[in-house]
Amino acid sequence: MRISPNSHRMESMEPRTHDGFPSQDDPAAAPLNDRERAAHLLSRLSYGPRPGETDKVIEIGAEAWLKEQLQDKDPSDPRLASWLSEYQTLALTVKDCAAFTYTERERGKTQTREEQRAERKKRRIPLDEVVWSTALRAVYSDRQATEVMGEFWRNHLNVSFTKGQNIYAAVPHYEAAVLRNNIWGKFPDMLKASAMHPAMLYYLDNHLSRRPPSKQELAEIERKTKRKTGSEERAVEAVQIASQRGLNENYARELLELHTLGVDNYYKQKDVIALAEILTGWTVDGGRKGSQDFVFKASMHVRGDIKLLGKKFPEDQEKGPGQGLSVLKMLGEHKGTADFIAMKMVRFLVADKPSEKLVAKVAKTYRKTKGDLVAMTQTIVESEDFWSRSNYRTKFKTPYEFILSALRVTGADIDRQASIGRYLQEMGQPIYHCDDPTGYYDTADAWLDPGVMALRWEFATDLANSKIRGVKIPDTFYDQIPHDGPPRLWQHHLTKLILPGGAGDRTRAALATVTSEYLDKKKRVPDLYEIGPTLVGLLLGSPEFQQQ
Amino acid sequence: MSHKNPTSRRDFLKLAAASGVALHSGAFANQLLASETLAPGYVPQDGSNKSLVVIFLRGGADHMNVIVPYGDPDYAAHRPTLAMNLESGLIKLDKTFGLHPAMTSLQSLWASGKLAPIVCAGSPHTTRSHFDAQDWMEFGAPGNRGVRDGWLNRYLATTQKKGDSASEFRALGMQELLPRSLRGTYPVLAVPSSLTKKKSSRNLDAFERFYGEGGDMLEGGEMMSGEREDDAAGVVKSGRITIETLRRLQAIIAASEKKNKNATVSGSSYPDSRFGQRLKKIALVLKANEGLEVAGIDYNGWDDHAQEGGAEGNMADRLRDLSTGISAFCQDLGPTLDTTTILVMTEFGRTVKENGNSGTDHGHGGAMFVIGGGVKGGEVHGDWRGLKPENLYQGRDLAVSTDFRDVFNAVLENSLGFEPPSGFFPDYKPNRLKKLF
Repeated sequence: MRISPNSHRMESMEPRTHDGFPSQDDPAAAPLNDRERAAHLLSRLSYGPRPGETDKVIEIGAEAWLKEQLQDKDPSDPRLASWLSEYQTLALTVKDCAAFTYTERERGKTQTREEQRAERKKRRIPLDEVVWSTALRAVYSDRQATEVMGEFWRNHLNVSFTKGQNIYAAVPHYEAAVLRNNIWGKFPDMLKASAMHPAMLYYLDNHLSRRPPSKQELAEIERKTKRKTGSEERAVEAVQIASQRGLNENYARELLELHTLGVDNYYKQKDVIALAEILTGWTVDGGRKGSQDFVFKASMHVRGDIKLLGKKFPEDQEKGPGQGLSVLKMLGEHKGTADFIAMKMVRFLVADKPSEKLVAKVAKTYRKTKGDLVAMTQTIVESEDFWSRSNYRTKFKTPYEFILSALRVTGADIDRQASIGRYLQEMGQPIYHCDDPTGYYDTADAWLDPGVMALRWEFATDLANSKIRGVKIPDTFYDQIPHDGPPRLWQHHLTKLILPGGAGDRTRAALATVTSEYLDKKKRVPDLYEIGPTLVGLLLGSPEFQQQ
Repeated sequence: MSHKNPTSRRDFLKLAAASGVALHSGAFANQLLASETLAPGYVPQDGSNKSLVVIFLRGGADHMNVIVPYGDPDYAAHRPTLAMNLESGLIKLDKTFGLHPAMTSLQSLWASGKLAPIVCAGSPHTTRSHFDAQDWMEFGAPGNRGVRDGWLNRYLATTQKKGDSASEFRALGMQELLPRSLRGTYPVLAVPSSLTKKKSSRNLDAFERFYGEGGDMLEGGEMMSGEREDDAAGVVKSGRITIETLRRLQAIIAASEKKNKNATVSGSSYPDSRFGQRLKKIALVLKANEGLEVAGIDYNGWDDHAQEGGAEGNMADRLRDLSTGISAFCQDLGPTLDTTTILVMTEFGRTVKENGNSGTDHGHGGAMFVIGGGVKGGEVHGDWRGLKPENLYQGRDLAVSTDFRDVFNAVLENSLGFEPPSGFFPDYKPNRLKKLF
């Protein structure tokens, strides 16, 4: 057999190398090549590569990229900066936000329908702004790792607009002060900030939780009601109602189950009640004249030393929230918390079924660094597991990840009124609207039901064909590929942009068929701007793009 | 509509069982598949098509605000702001119980003996976590973290017949994501709301090549070399099932709409709510009589820790929507109701005492309803032990007197004609509820 000296070169000019995927001979266990490593990193710690980003990561290496991501300064896209500057509520305190969205009503005058509408609209401003800014940052921010982990914590310490209007004005500050401010800080700090934030206190009802009234207080209520109404019956009724006031276990339970230890881990029902008692008086200084901030109300607090998880927590002698604070400190240092947070982070960043070895390693980092989230993230990214081929492109994107990565990878222009919320809603993952305190799940079993692909295909083709109001893939996206090259190679160039890790045989074959059908039918000169959107829609709806 | 790659459901099951990504590995069904023998298949005894519609009230609906124990001497004292009585409009069931006043639309079903309320039903497990309680109820396996497939999915997988095609439409979840009870190895469609749009069927055609049995270059059904099966295998399967089952469903609904156009049952007015509209679609599929056996639907928002409300209020609004929806559905079904069972459940009931915020916290025993043909309605089922402190579970909740699996078991047997083999509900010894059907 004659071997041409150029055979290697010739081979490399086959179209498939345009997609940059590995040689077919790669055994399943082969380490990821440079391009795959870059694609993998960008798929897990960002919402996908912007044009040129994959090559940049190949050039500077994963470590340098991550280091850059962890820097404070965000030299983001100027579009993002200008959008964010238009928002009015994102930097406000809860009090200022409440004041900003408050509509003064004239006494004794009924509102017209227009006035009612205007009032509702005004009240919704923080909701719209926090939802929109979250999406825009995820698409355009250069600090992608921050956005990705932001989504993790948004779900871990979930609060939701579905709870009702009292939460609206509190969420922008919650996003800024509790989550974004601590994404690269220490978990116990974030936990404490959440526990003392009006958004969480409202969301899990702790603002209402209080000790039951004493006999003396009940007698007082009876006396007052009788004096006021002159009715014995009303007085008895008032006492009955008042005597029911008391503990609300909602927050205490989720604090143990979802925020720190994990379900039924180390604690029992009696601990839930004990913790609820400890946290009585942790409430919001609400009302028109209140600070709208956390306040400890000693009058609502169950006084006394309380045993929790077998340990005694003495009453705060200063009549402050000290008892609850020491519980939060204990929970922040608890082995159960380290294990639970480590498991969730590994599941989120590496695999639906996380390896116990890596979880143990990350939990160790947690304990060593007191929950330092940079150190934990680094432990994960530096692990063998993270780079293993068995974890490469095997995690199913949530609807949120799917939609945002599609917008990012196509460099889509989005205007403020863009209607992507509808798609998130239909797919079951609207931003800041998860009713359950679990937050949205990040594993495939929660999202990959037969049927869901129909919605993704709809989004993919709508986006590619500019059918989504306020969203457009700019011509510059297509300008990245050589128009004058053979039309049969267009699909390869587009694949390289959208699937930097390459496409499988089935997808490439299908794209080739679509291209052929187009070229065979076409009597005029083939036009990239014409066939491009079809190919992009198919790529975004392809099996490969659903994975990260 | 063309089916270029007719694929048997058994192939789907094999694929699904092998993947474990998209479709959970259900130990029980897998076992059956591995042995290549199927459990005694279900053959409808009378040739009729029996079906079950399962409604899950998520959040732990307050038993005592749904099936209200107005006649219990201790009730009112536990519920100072929430308590109701016959004067508040309760629908009297017997001398102890009444249905919440917002549920009047269910009165005629009760009167005609088609509505069976069950008191104090629930799980033998002590958990008060929503998420565990829901999972374990829907998996039919309290406290068992090994079981990850839903009890209804197990039913479908177990009664799978050889040679069935996936387009034979046995089950659906009428929402974008499946209730957990329908998740598992058997492919069940979660019906997207954009189902009826034209472009959604165009997309099915366009993406068929990407998710079909193989690309156009494939011959003999073999994987091409270099196919990285592990990358997206679960997605491909899910997509393939989406295409086949959605096409089938679209055809069924179109035919049923045509057939029923002139026969819209008078008086059946569904609420405009999402719940009502979804029930309406399920009715269309059921009336088509194309073999739908199981449909699931979730109703969220029953976690009333505060401002629950009594005869009026937050919970009343939900109960009204629920009841008018169910009532319209039953009317709409007409004679089909005789072969249809509706099961309403929730993960647990709530504290007997109301809490400090006119709400209730997580409790234990909950309310269930079985509605439809064949059920012995018109009487309250289950054992009520009263509200004396010594009869309460852990001194605070309704004790569970009927294991929810007893109800599931009875429904499977009587509504679907399927006798669950031993192990179907793990660690469970069947207790026959003879009086329910």
